[in-house]
Amino acid sequence: MADSDSDYVQDGSEEEVSRHQITRGVKAVRAGPDQSKKWEVARPWDDVREDATGAIAVDDMLEAGKRKRKLKDTTPLQRGIIRHLILVIDCSTAMLETDMRPTRYLLTLRYAQAFVLEFFEQNPISQLGIIGMRDGLAQRISDTSGNPSDHIARLQTIREQEPKGQASLQNALDMSRAALFHAPTHTTREVLLLYGSLLSSDPGDIHQTITALANDHITCVVIGLAAQIAICRTLVSRTNPSMPVSESYTVALDDIHYRELLMRATTPPPTASSTTNTNGAQKQSGIIGGSTLLSMGFPSRITDRLPSLCACHSRPTSGGYLCSRCSAKVCALPSKCPCCGLTLILSTHLARSYHHLFPLRNWKEVSWQRAALCPDTVACFSCLAAFPPAQLRRADSGAGAKEAGEGTRTKVGKREKRKEIGISESGRYECETCHTFFCIDCDVFCHDVVHNCPGCQSREGDLLDRGLDGDGDGRDGAG
Amino acid sequence: MSYCRPNSEKGGLKPKAKQESTPEAAAEKPWPEGGTWVHLSPQDLTRLGKMEAIDSSEHYEKTKEESPASLLVIILDTNPHAWFALDDQLPLTSAIAHICVFINAHLAFNDANKVAVIASHNQRAVFLYPTPPTAATQHDASTAQNDSSADVEMVDASNGTSANPSSADANKYRPFHQVQQAMTSAIQKLMDETKPESLASTTAIAGALTLALTYINKQTILANSVLPSSDTNATGAHDENAPVLLTSRILILSVSGDLANQYIPIMNTIFACQRKSIPIDIAKIAGDSVFLQQASDATKGIFIQVEHPQGLLQYLMMGFLSDPTSRQHLISATQAGVDFRAACFCHRKVIDMGYVCSICLSIFCSPPEGSVCLTCGTHLSLGDYGKVPAVIPKKKKDKKGKAKEKVADTEN
Repeated sequence: MADSDSDYVQDGSEEEVSRHQITRGVKAVRAGPDQSKKWEVARPWDDVREDATGAIAVDDMLEAGKRKRKLKDTTPLQRGIIRHLILVIDCSTAMLETDMRPTRYLLTLRYAQAFVLEFFEQNPISQLGIIGMRDGLAQRISDTSGNPSDHIARLQTIREQEPKGQASLQNALDMSRAALFHAPTHTTREVLLLYGSLLSSDPGDIHQTITALANDHITCVVIGLAAQIAICRTLVSRTNPSMPVSESYTVALDDIHYRELLMRATTPPPTASSTTNTNGAQKQSGIIGGSTLLSMGFPSRITDRLPSLCACHSRPTSGGYLCSRCSAKVCALPSKCPCCGLTLILSTHLARSYHHLFPLRNWKEVSWQRAALCPDTVACFSCLAAFPPAQLRRADSGAGAKEAGEGTRTKVGKREKRKEIGISESGRYECETCHTFFCIDCDVFCHDVVHNCPGCQSREGDLLDRGLDGDGDGRDGAG
Repeated sequence: MSYCRPNSEKGGLKPKAKQESTPEAAAEKPWPEGGTWVHLSPQDLTRLGKMEAIDSSEHYEKTKEESPASLLVIILDTNPHAWFALDDQLPLTSAIAHICVFINAHLAFNDANKVAVIASHNQRAVFLYPTPPTAATQHDASTAQNDSSADVEMVDASNGTSANPSSADANKYRPFHQVQQAMTSAIQKLMDETKPESLASTTAIAGALTLALTYINKQTILANSVLPSSDTNATGAHDENAPVLLTSRILILSVSGDLANQYIPIMNTIFACQRKSIPIDIAKIAGDSVFLQQASDATKGIFIQVEHPQGLLQYLMMGFLSDPTSRQHLISATQAGVDFRAACFCHRKVIDMGYVCSICLSIFCSPPEGSVCLTCGTHLSLGDYGKVPAVIPKKKKDKKGKAKEKVADTEN
């Protein structure tokens, strides 16, 4: 097992991860849930690595972040921005396991709250509902709505109730189907299952339910906590044929991986090509009707001196937003006007989703050769941190610097091989549109948080003067 | 430590003499009860002093109570068009003088406070302070490192720009002087580089904001990396409970108006600020911009419309000097009404009700022609928007049927 662990750390490819999961699943099934964790103690010392001189390599941490960035696909895809998602939480006795601290159940609830917040952060005009699987029944935890605080309040109330009985996949799926049935055609219909059990106790034939889900274009994604289960595999492969099973059915290895998998689901799913419907053959994706023009209101905020009742909760509030069609007062946005049914949003909510549609392109690693061509750039453009100087490197590797590609790779072997994953040997990363060099911190920050290229945004005038241009299809800064 | 008492009262001599007379007793009873005196040699006293310095927890508590250092990033809109229009009220030179005083006040607040100044020029954004290192300066530094034995000419931190410091600057606090020198020379350089043909009425505020954010991110990482336990990842997902060592804020001195062409990048930076809880303060000297209002509203910053530009310094000192930590205890000036209306993508009209493409979320003031989205080119199904509600015609057949039934009923 030690071997496979270190393999995983070393190249961490998707393939390796999935193989890892399968072994784990098989083991867990064979050994039973109570023994499944004995061979899986945390081994933090495996993550520490020494470099050639014997010092602990610090850049591995950076590399990990970098790899995360690399996995991100930056092709601009049509995505289902307006989503309807049902989160199904396992509340059966299997969730009492303590392989994730404190228990699977409490950890899941904690992560679910973070998920709700992040989901509405990323998808402000989407709807979410939560269903629990407890004691063989499906239990509605919170109704489908667009208000994160409602969901979080409901999640906090079910903390007190102990997990009980078995989970019933069929009941939960039927209830989700009923909740998603009315969703408009231009939205996605998704079910996200957090499944800790190794079985499903169902009242009827679950395959009929799966067929019904597939007919209703509902896509199901499962995050397992224990092992891969055949029925979940069938479920995801039947309900989203356009997505590989390794993406739609994942098993969490530990709590950090669990959080990562859960947070990955907050990104809106790409729309499958067959969505643009050719009469009736629209089986491929959650979106059935394709594109629609939606009528929306952009209300302005008002502050009254005296409180008045809001139309949504009938509570006295002094601030709020007036519906632009019927002037009813609602307390929070985004929401649907309770009187006339107009969708009320802020333009900032729409803008929040734009970075999914216009992703920032990945920056290229800069070789020493390329770095030597630009001796003027000695520091990161955006944070002014100095780069390792090119002269030093040339002194190190002598004449070999010319063919930095093969020469050094054979010399330093493994280390160089790891660097290929996405670490730049010169510590520089170049935006292909504006040809500016950045450091790794700025690279990760720009791609994860800002979604802007500092170079493209602040050098437009310079670019015009110098007559440089991007690589043709560069993202237009002005959008 | 408790047995070491200052012998100020009762006269130290007598007990001291007693202890000296019976050294055996002192050895037997190292912890005398009830305030008897123990003689301590000067060595003992220094040792105790050291111990006290080492294991007293006072030191650590003090750092916790101290307010964290504050990083202020000032974005100065240096659009020449707008400053020319303002020239009779507030020339750029005096505005810079005001800003320098403000920066000095900020730096004087806390020894660890930092400042960065970014110019948002037309079409590009550049750092004014700290000065971006160039190949020449770095070469100097590297040679200085390599042959430390050689006699190296002392290079000023402001990169030799202050070759002849006037006698008036001699008594100036050095950090103030450095910032001022670097800033004025950088602005001078920037204005010299500006050619008449490259003048446009816009300003690269999105680029400046992005630069400010990346700089803040780097400084935060550097500040946190002092603590070995803290996690220095860029997303900041895991270090929610880590102590805050550096609070940052952004102050924009804005003189330009229209920013519509940078809508998406500006919005991206606003959301990044929201996630990182960095307030964006706006001092709106001239022009009008909806986005900046929304920026300060969304990030809980301060928005002040500077009505009398001559008194810029007072606005800065009274309105913007407090850092995020002290703002928790202050009621800051901000404006109540914020314009949230959107502008449509087709005519740039400000609308309060519109149509949104479900694929690319473009906003239109009316259904686009041919029902094809102007941004993404998707064919949109229009739904029933804008039509007059249909009245269902009365169905004659039903009536006849009903009438027949009625007839039948009556017949029966």
